[in-house]
Amino acid sequence: MEYIPLYLIFIPIISSMIIYLFNLRIINYLIFITQATISVLMIKYFLFINKNPQFASITIGGWDKRIGIELKNDVYSIAFIFLTIFIWTIVSIYCFDKRKNDAKFLFFLLFLEGAFLALLQTNDLFNLFVLIEIISIISTILIIFKKDGFAVRAGLYYLLFNSIGSIFYLLGMIIIYNIFGTLNIDVIKHHIHLIDNDLIIHAAFILMMSAIGVKSALFPVFTWLPKAHGAAPSSISALLSGLIVKSGLYVMIKVDHLFNLYTFKEYFFILGFFSAIIGILFALSQKDIKQILAYHTISQIGIILMGLSTINQITFYGGLYHIINHALFKSLLFLGAGMIIRTYNIRRVTEIRGVFKTMPLTSIFIIVGMLSITGAPFFNGFISKSLIVHGLKEQTFIYFLFFIINIGTATSFIKFSQIFFGKSKLKGQATINEKIALFILSIACITLGLHFNYFNQYLFHVESPVVILDLYNIMTYFITIIIGFILYQTIIKKDYLVFKKIRHMHITFETTNYLLVLYIFTMILWSFKAL
Amino acid sequence: MNPILSFIIILIGIYGICTSKHIIKSIVCFNLIQTGTILLFLNLGYSEEGHIPIIGEQIEKIVDPIPQALMITTIVIGSTITALALILSIKIFHYYGSLYWKVVFDREG
Repeated sequence: MEYIPLYLIFIPIISSMIIYLFNLRIINYLIFITQATISVLMIKYFLFINKNPQFASITIGGWDKRIGIELKNDVYSIAFIFLTIFIWTIVSIYCFDKRKNDAKFLFFLLFLEGAFLALLQTNDLFNLFVLIEIISIISTILIIFKKDGFAVRAGLYYLLFNSIGSIFYLLGMIIIYNIFGTLNIDVIKHHIHLIDNDLIIHAAFILMMSAIGVKSALFPVFTWLPKAHGAAPSSISALLSGLIVKSGLYVMIKVDHLFNLYTFKEYFFILGFFSAIIGILFALSQKDIKQILAYHTISQIGIILMGLSTINQITFYGGLYHIINHALFKSLLFLGAGMIIRTYNIRRVTEIRGVFKTMPLTSIFIIVGMLSITGAPFFNGFISKSLIVHGLKEQTFIYFLFFIINIGTATSFIKFSQIFFGKSKLKGQATINEKIALFILSIACITLGLHFNYFNQYLFHVESPVVILDLYNIMTYFITIIIGFILYQTIIKKDYLVFKKIRHMHITFETTNYLLVLYIFTMILWSFKAL
Repeated sequence: MNPILSFIIILIGIYGICTSKHIIKSIVCFNLIQTGTILLFLNLGYSEEGHIPIIGEQIEKIVDPIPQALMITTIVIGSTITALALILSIKIFHYYGSLYWKVVFDREG
């Protein structure tokens, strides 16, 4: 029973290899058997761990903890594992119609799941590095799967920039190894308070955080994300935006708990705010349907970062909850966008019209996703956003900043929603598989919105004491929507020169690297505050 | 060997990656940074007059084997990424007829 973490990693990887080797259509159905097996195993493991918490960690091969490879599960990783299995199942249902003869695609898809599950469970700094790199490589291959010019150049940009970021993680890890002589996170956590030399700890933290910033697309180093997510096939965009980007945030939570530096909380809060605002500004100026969604991922990551980097406990869990919610509604939106693009064969929001006529059922699901992302009451986005705001209510200025972000999101999705109106003579091309996938995701969005308390207690073992569904929050939402509508009608619709400039702004690879250096430099400057 | 040397290699790599306008040069500079990092880590495990760490022999001073084990993995990862990046740059040359970042990203389609 305590070896289930290993099974969770190796069952997807081995079945991916079987699929690739046999290359038969009937074997490809193995993907669903795999998903079912690991979900059952995970539920069993979850119940087992709740009863016997001492089995939560295993060391492979019976080595000493300090030199062996340790797998460890805690509250966060278990929540993430459930989310991972869920999203992967949805994506495999969604893309199976199109890809059921494509053993190569399914191989990479399943292999990526194994690597991601390993990343969530490992308790070793070097393993984290290796798995981050494996995930980067496999995601690159999945991004370029269409093999057109757009995808290939985006894939190269993604691969090189992410690998350069990861090297900084390696440098930070070297410093840690040099001090402690071990790479086990638990051992380091117990001894880190013994180190008097603040300078070296800060240096290690800054180097690791620069890699994590690249991985999770924070403000100055986000440029790879819209390129990669825009060029990938829709099912892969959903995976990348929903989960792979979150791997950076997950490692960030781990590293943050490891170092426990309060100095940088404020820094990352400010960075989160800038990510949110810049993401929305770019999203407002874009016309490509997938680019809009990709830039919204950046802004939502900013909101999550704001939640995660506060000392307030409720706000922290709000950020954590928003990771899960964002994964659900963003994959819903991306999958829906993929269906729209296939039917209309154009990607411009200004030209797609009459989606509600051609695909009524799909439009309803997409509307659920849009309501969630803007934070409508009774949907999951509302809950996590309210939890984040709850801790900040006393600080009026920060509350005001949050309000601006919400208005921006609302405006952008009012622009997005124009695709539903108007007339169209096209015939919808939605298969039953895709409809089922979207249906499950939208049900999940609504369920998490209505029964969040139950989930919070069961997964994170925390009470959410706030009365969230009060009249004040609901009124705020409607005011946000009204202001957003007015803004859309008066400013965004006119497409002023500023937005055209932003839309055609292109950040080259060299500039991105300059931005990375700048990002590290600002962190170094900030750390002088504490020294 | 001096760790300063590996820092110099890393800084040259960072300088190169911030200024090079050619895809192949960017890949080379990425390799430079990685090589510098690997050298730095191997350097830390090294000790003068250190011996091979094999159990059973009467040795007083050994070199630290863990950096070597870890860096082998890093070298493998680095070579994989380089290979994939080079393959992609061949594809890019077929599509766009150029290997300059600016030309490649300015062109439509």
